[in-house]
Amino acid sequence: MNYPVWQLDAFGGGLWIVLIAVFHVYISHFAVGGGLFLVLAERKAQRENDPAMLDYVRAHARFFLLLTMVAGSITGVGIWFIMSLLNPAATSILVHTFVFAWASEWVFFLIEIVALFLYYATFGRMESGRHQALGWIYFGAAWMSLVLINGVIGFMLTPGAWPKDANFWSGFFNPSFWPSLFFRTFLALIIAGLFGLTTAAWLKDARLRTVMTRFCARWLLLPFVFFVASAAWYRAALPAELQEMIFARMPSMRPYVNGFFLCSPVLVVAGLLLIFRLPVGLARALALALLLIGQLYIGCFEFIREGGRRPYIIREVMYSTSILKKDADRVRQEGVLSSAKWVRHREITDANRLAAGRELYNLLCLACHAVGGPMRDIKQLTAPFTPSGLDAMISGMEVFYPAMPPFAGTPEERAALALYVAQGLNGRSDPAPVALVEKKVEIPAFDPAASPFVLLAWSPQSMRSVAEVKGVLSLLPPGNSLRAQLIKRGETPELVNQGVALSYRFAGDGGAGKPAISGELTAEEDVFVVDNIPLRPGVGPSADPYPTAIIEARDESDALLAETTVVAPVSAEIGCSACHGGAGQGDRPGLYRETALHILRVHDRLSGTSLLAEAQGGATVRCQSCHADALVKAQGDPARLNLSAAIHGFHANYLRGKGAEACGFCHPSSNTVVARCLRDIHAAVGMDCVNCHGAVEDHALGLLQQERRAGKGQAAALMAHLRPRSAGGLEEVAPRQPWINQPDCLHCHVDFQAPETDTVVNARTNDEQGLYRNRTDDSGRLFCAACHSGAHAVYPADNPSGAQLDVLQPLQYQGNRLPLGANRNCAVCHTVAMADEMHHANSLRAFRNE
Amino acid sequence: MDPAALIPIPDAIPVAWGWLQFFLLLTFFLHIVLMNAMLGAAFIALVTHLRGGHASPYTAAVAGNLPFAVAFTVNFGVAPLLFAQVLYGHFIYVSSILMAVFWLSIIALLISAYALAYVYKYQYARLGNGRLPVAGLITLLLLIVAFLFASNLSLMQDPARWSRYFDRPQGMLLNLADPMLLPRYLHFMVSSVAVGGLTMALFFDRKHRKGDPSASPWVKQGCRWFAHATLLNVAVGLWFLVALPKGVLTVSTTAGLLLTASLACGVLLAAPAVAFALAGRVMPATWCGLGAIALMILARGLLRAALLAPWFSLSQLPVRASYSSFTFFLFFLVAGLALIVWMVRFTLRSCAAREARP
Repeated sequence: MNYPVWQLDAFGGGLWIVLIAVFHVYISHFAVGGGLFLVLAERKAQRENDPAMLDYVRAHARFFLLLTMVAGSITGVGIWFIMSLLNPAATSILVHTFVFAWASEWVFFLIEIVALFLYYATFGRMESGRHQALGWIYFGAAWMSLVLINGVIGFMLTPGAWPKDANFWSGFFNPSFWPSLFFRTFLALIIAGLFGLTTAAWLKDARLRTVMTRFCARWLLLPFVFFVASAAWYRAALPAELQEMIFARMPSMRPYVNGFFLCSPVLVVAGLLLIFRLPVGLARALALALLLIGQLYIGCFEFIREGGRRPYIIREVMYSTSILKKDADRVRQEGVLSSAKWVRHREITDANRLAAGRELYNLLCLACHAVGGPMRDIKQLTAPFTPSGLDAMISGMEVFYPAMPPFAGTPEERAALALYVAQGLNGRSDPAPVALVEKKVEIPAFDPAASPFVLLAWSPQSMRSVAEVKGVLSLLPPGNSLRAQLIKRGETPELVNQGVALSYRFAGDGGAGKPAISGELTAEEDVFVVDNIPLRPGVGPSADPYPTAIIEARDESDALLAETTVVAPVSAEIGCSACHGGAGQGDRPGLYRETALHILRVHDRLSGTSLLAEAQGGATVRCQSCHADALVKAQGDPARLNLSAAIHGFHANYLRGKGAEACGFCHPSSNTVVARCLRDIHAAVGMDCVNCHGAVEDHALGLLQQERRAGKGQAAALMAHLRPRSAGGLEEVAPRQPWINQPDCLHCHVDFQAPETDTVVNARTNDEQGLYRNRTDDSGRLFCAACHSGAHAVYPADNPSGAQLDVLQPLQYQGNRLPLGANRNCAVCHTVAMADEMHHANSLRAFRNE
Repeated sequence: MDPAALIPIPDAIPVAWGWLQFFLLLTFFLHIVLMNAMLGAAFIALVTHLRGGHASPYTAAVAGNLPFAVAFTVNFGVAPLLFAQVLYGHFIYVSSILMAVFWLSIIALLISAYALAYVYKYQYARLGNGRLPVAGLITLLLLIVAFLFASNLSLMQDPARWSRYFDRPQGMLLNLADPMLLPRYLHFMVSSVAVGGLTMALFFDRKHRKGDPSASPWVKQGCRWFAHATLLNVAVGLWFLVALPKGVLTVSTTAGLLLTASLACGVLLAAPAVAFALAGRVMPATWCGLGAIALMILARGLLRAALLAPWFSLSQLPVRASYSSFTFFLFFLVAGLALIVWMVRFTLRSCAAREARP
């Protein structure tokens, strides 16, 4: 916010600090432990009166001097340089807080230089004990340097009481100061042994080589016990939430944690091996390998420590975005571009959106994410996202990726940033609104005067979503349903359920040269049903989300009694590809093969599963195998969240604060898809998903509440960052079972009257029987949907894909688009006008929204 | 874009700014003297090689001691950089970022120069004709480092030119349009040659005092280098003066008066330094030379304050007092210096005792 950003792109993401720091840290620990090594090795040579050994110590001292002075001290300055270039604001806090710790360290650095030069220059020119005294002074000064720097570094990870009292001593003697000091001290001794092994391995004198190799191996083994103990102490000294972050919640930490734990036994075993006399070639190779492992070892440790600090650069004080925690709320309100000093674009306009996004990227992302480089490359990480998908991701990134800070700016800035990354860098764009081609359907004839039957048919699903990639992932298997009721017309109409057979046949062929999908409907009391029709609409340009089927009713002699046409809504246009990739430019949203693989990859990373391997092994991963789903009557694993709770609970965290557009991210309700599932009278009067189902947070929280009360811990975790939009607090959110506790017409249309509200709050059907699709009229025989059609398509629906599509039967039987019998048109079935409201109250009247 | 809007908000300092300014000037003085000795010695060694002296007592002495000079120059550079960050961090961090690629390259350049200094030292006998390119490369690297430092300090005190960042945010900016940059840089570099000469004179003067008759010509040569370079530096200094913005050098304000006085005194002190040097009186020349450098360092600090005056003054820095940590530092500083003195004396005594043993 305060400083310009060095726009590094491919070299960004902290690459330079890693390159300099990892190397410097290795050398600087050697500079501490190596001092003691020199003194004790010299003492050993003196005690054993071994001039050859003394020569070795002298040669090692020269190697030590050259390495620590030339590479060690200058890279130490380099760390200062790079810190202030990449994180000037944090460096400023450190420098202003600990200037006198650093100044003291400079004094010890000076003592080190003088002592080391004197020590090396006076080899053999002083009495040995006195010479060793210089070595001891060097080691003491080097260790004091470690003490002082350790205080500053520890402060960044565990600032202790400093954020409250801003006291030098609180920050310096922070909670991890002592364990970290011991940890680093023993590590320094081990590293001294590693470097000693390297120089010893090249000794020509075989006897001396063996003696010194064994001496050095002891430097690996003896401190190791204390090192492990101090590592455990270090871990225990970290606050509990920090331990959880590092060791449990950050998948990105695992390679480094594993690397650290893996290197430990290697060092011990190699140390033990070196105690034996090995062939010179092997000993040298082993020494070099150990030197490299030592670098990896300390590299892993520093990555863990640095990573554990995230999303802060100074924990609880300053985010890695260089925004102070105490300023975060203000910046979020005022905006990053308004708060930052070094920006060109204070306001976002259509003309500068990408350029402003770039500035936001520099300010908020570049410190950790390179553009096309090796350090957490943003292009690679965001490759699957469209701009809107990435916008959603950024809005909730801190929930499941605790290394990420919450987005610092306004929603408009977030969108500009997402546009810059997804479009500007990756060339991805959101699907454009689709221009629809009107679909025409041939409507069977009906003669009001002569036709003896009325055949009513509907789809109980307002829209069946299909998301399945064979051999990879099955999220929503195909399975449309149809319902039909056959009415024998007359003054007292009769529902016919015996002596007739109903069949269906979809228009066109079944795709890929297969015959048209067709079959029989089965009589279940008054209604004929068929389920699990395997409609797969695809996501290509020719995909038809509204296939129509002709339903015929025939008597036992196969004579046609009645026929009608019905639409079976089905869509594969679900929005997975907005965040999980797979869709090419111009493709519709959907679940593609790459999309499915990415979903499995993310699932594995966040939930510790191995689904990707399963899929790559050829098995189709079925979500319902673990997650119960009432839609397909899957029991799942009762210990896990049901599918609806898991999916809504997870994704709601990325869609907070939104209206119906949140639903449209995944469901086919927006104008970027062909299906546009909201097509009934409610949509026509301006209502959307949220009016009936609630905002996505409420929708998800109801599902999660049910699971939480069933004792499923994952539900509480998913709820942690969701705040109810309509209810006051979490406890007021009514628990809900998916596909059972749903909004219902009568929640607003109380007693079938005109509604007094257009919004359902926390009201749900009690059980499956209470669902609109399962309810009947007052007679208990005629289904609501028979006359009104399915949810989301109730008459007079206006389907954007074809004005006829969702009103086929009203057009067939009444010549209008209204519910069957509307406007006192009882004659459709009764053949005469009726005076009693025998189906439901308030039914004999003029239709309100014609 | 208003340059004032670009200047970051500084953090609070832990003690009154005067303390930090004192340590900044003190340690910078020590750094500059060491840097001058290091760079000047390397430069004169290069010239000696160029004049055909592949092996001379002087180049051998430079080769033997250059790594120490680099080590102590770097060490004494750390302290003023630290104190400068505390007082001027909100300026120097910005200028460093604007020229980040060059600034960071200093580390690689320094490591290379330092490593070559050890090559020069330990391979001196073997190098033969290779001494010239090695000394040349060391000098060139150090000259580049010095130029980059001068550039950063120039850019730091010139916020009016900072907005160029918006067109080139890749860290590739220098402040070459600053009319003060070149004379400022040359002033430091010529001063290095002068101090290099003085160091040569001091080194061989000590040998001479110990009875080495061959040291005498080198004392004279060192004094000549010092005197001539100092005279040349007066001319460069005049160029620098001319390049200063109008109104900076004034006697009408206290700050201007102090700046003018310290500059004048510095120049005045340079005159006896040259005279003593030409007379072969090394120690008086050294004291006068060091005095002139100290005054120039003071003038440099006052000039920075004057150039930054439109934007900032040190008295504006908020203070969040932490004198206990300051005391902690003072203790270590005094104890550390005492330890160093003891250690050197202890070593000298111990070596002498060993040598005296039959």
